[in-house]
Amino acid sequence: MKKLACLAAVAAVAALAGDSVTFETLVKAQDDPASWLSYGKNYSGWRYSPLAQIDASNIAHLAPAWILATGARGGNETTPIVLDDMMYLTGPSNAAWAVDLLTGRKVWSYSKDAPLGLGLCCGQVNRGFAILGDRLFKVNIQSTLVALDRKSGKVLWETTVDDYKKGYSSTAAPLVVKDMVITGTAGAEWGIRGYVDAYDAATGKRWWRFYTVPGKGEPGAGTWGGDSYKNGGGSTWITGTYDPELNLIFWGIGNPGPDMDGDVRPGDNLYTCSLVALDADTGKLKWHFQFTPHDVHDWDAVADPVLMDLTVGGKKVRAVGQANRNGFYYLLDRTNGKLLTAKAYTKVNWADGIGPDGRPILIPNREPTEAGTLVCPGLGGGHNWEATAYSQRTGLYYFGSTDGCQIFTRSRQQFVEGLEYQAGDAEAPPKQVNSGSIIAVDPSTGQTKWRYEMIHRPAGLLATGGNLIFAGDTDGYLIALDAVTGKVIWHFQTGAEIKAPPISYSLRGTQYIAITAGPNLLAFKLQ
Amino acid sequence: MWSTLACALLLVAPSLCFAQADGNPFTGNPQEVAAGARAFAVSCAPCHGRTGEGTQGQAEGIKPPDLTRGVYKFGSRDGDLYHLISRGIPESGMPSFEQLGTAQIWRLIAYVRTLPQPRKPATGDAVAGEALFQGKGRCGQCHAVRSTGGGVGPNLSYDARLNDPQKIRRAIVAPDDEIAPGYTVVTIVTRDHQTLSGIARFFDDFSARVADSSGGERTYLRDEVISMQRDTHSLMPDNYGTVFSSAELDDLVAYVIKLRTEGRGQ
Repeated sequence: MKKLACLAAVAAVAALAGDSVTFETLVKAQDDPASWLSYGKNYSGWRYSPLAQIDASNIAHLAPAWILATGARGGNETTPIVLDDMMYLTGPSNAAWAVDLLTGRKVWSYSKDAPLGLGLCCGQVNRGFAILGDRLFKVNIQSTLVALDRKSGKVLWETTVDDYKKGYSSTAAPLVVKDMVITGTAGAEWGIRGYVDAYDAATGKRWWRFYTVPGKGEPGAGTWGGDSYKNGGGSTWITGTYDPELNLIFWGIGNPGPDMDGDVRPGDNLYTCSLVALDADTGKLKWHFQFTPHDVHDWDAVADPVLMDLTVGGKKVRAVGQANRNGFYYLLDRTNGKLLTAKAYTKVNWADGIGPDGRPILIPNREPTEAGTLVCPGLGGGHNWEATAYSQRTGLYYFGSTDGCQIFTRSRQQFVEGLEYQAGDAEAPPKQVNSGSIIAVDPSTGQTKWRYEMIHRPAGLLATGGNLIFAGDTDGYLIALDAVTGKVIWHFQTGAEIKAPPISYSLRGTQYIAITAGPNLLAFKLQ
Repeated sequence: MWSTLACALLLVAPSLCFAQADGNPFTGNPQEVAAGARAFAVSCAPCHGRTGEGTQGQAEGIKPPDLTRGVYKFGSRDGDLYHLISRGIPESGMPSFEQLGTAQIWRLIAYVRTLPQPRKPATGDAVAGEALFQGKGRCGQCHAVRSTGGGVGPNLSYDARLNDPQKIRRAIVAPDDEIAPGYTVVTIVTRDHQTLSGIARFFDDFSARVADSSGGERTYLRDEVISMQRDTHSLMPDNYGTVFSSAELDDLVAYVIKLRTEGRGQ
């Protein structure tokens, strides 16, 4: 019996190490333009495909090669994984599929029922798979992490991350680092206490947990009055990035709870609305940077932390950039978390800029009140969570934004386990219609290079070697912009609201662009 | 066992027990309705909006229903609402609120039931209002009542939201303040330098389909016109505050509210 167990363990390790996707493959993912192997394309989160077959000269011939109607209900926010001739796609409501790249036909399906009583702010969304060896990893909405066999879709293991009855839920694509699967949690509107977790890719056993809200006696605990840390929020619902040389994981942390009533949680409320750098092997905090101390506007700092090696003020720096929901773009030194650049990219009326210490220079009386306070940007930002792109070819950083203001109100609320704990809300002022934009900035300075203004909001972005930016929007258009000028040069009506980012890959020497629109998956190529 | 329990409950809390069989124990009780309003602000407003109209909730990608209409997709009896709130609606984004407990859910329902009710009784004369509507105001040219009238503005019959006299009066004298959903105005300048405005059936970065005041519709592509812009003004005339006297406005409001009430039974 012991021998059998031993053999099984050896086989499991071989399956992880011996197949096409190893940790080394993921480290060098940018060298493989045919595939798309992780949420952000590479560990730096660039979402830059070097493929250049499709460009401004021929884009008029870009048309669907196939469309797959998945039949899933709810909005799709996923980034697919592409390997060899297969695509691995997650959908809303715990659904997932393997899809043949040549034909768009389903090869296998996965589903798992969701229980009643989930506490969700934004539907049963899911943002994608991670891959290692022959294993695919995804979260399920009821706060579990599951490993599937990529050939068959069979469940290899499923681990409970937390108790969904207490408001915990899972939506983000996991991040594979070495032989670990890194994941976070959603639920900061439900009085949870957030964390970043690492699980053994072979067994699903948890290796470490970093609490985003420190407990009593831990560093940072003094930034929470009383016992407020217990329901302090700090969810981690967007995938982080990883620097293999520094062995650091960068993960954005969500809002404190309750969202709009800061009086019950006096202090800066670390590490909410922060970027944290964690030692990949231990989960220990290396440094943190808090964008919005004592946030009362629901400005999660979960947006993609994109790793860029740049020249700032004449010096070469290993930097990490984030277009924060609070209306400012930030660039930090990713070796130590020191601020390099901060610049507003949309209308901001709550701060007069960011000081050299990284703290916002606050404008008084911008807190939510019972009567309501007009604050710009609104509750959703600015830039929210939607995927961003960094083009190696143009050197520019691209992201979407909602531009406008909202009236924030505050109420008083007792915490009840398993119930929404927001203590306020936000509404657009009468007659104001928020609009959206796609923005290109110089990542070193935060200077806006161009801005494409839209009637509605953009979804996630993709940059390509053809000097194009692809983006979907809430009206269902997939659009292509010139990456240098921001001019729209192509659009296609997909038939459903787009919430997911596009990806690019190649099959048999042909470049494709793929995106989900509503319940459908579309793959485009030059025709 | 259940009948024993029910009897025991009947002894301890007769009104509550009776009500679970036949309806909401808190209907019409102002204190309980006020408690329901507070609970609504905390548990429901984040998605359904503070007014319950479902248009301003914060949840992205979710279109919560308008609770002020008084008609609900999954059943409109108190018992249907209780079942829905306590169990949630799988895959819809509507969670279970079972944890609130029986009494609090009934309070919520008692409050939600007040949403479609008139805030204050209309004081005008509805018969005189109808004459003004069709005559002096020529409102029927743009607004249909039941199956008669124009289609440029919203049909005013059977609309449960038309329940607040002050709000209706404001909509008549200051139509730009709040434009009804689905009645966004788009102004287009064509290549032959004609300017036209109309209601946008759809309006996006590449196209708009516009209904003009005569009821005609046409789609315009952005590439084929000089400009295409959303207008913050309503197509409704903005001078009704001077066209009508205050008493006439009261009459018009009474007529519009009567249309809503008539509509419920049809």
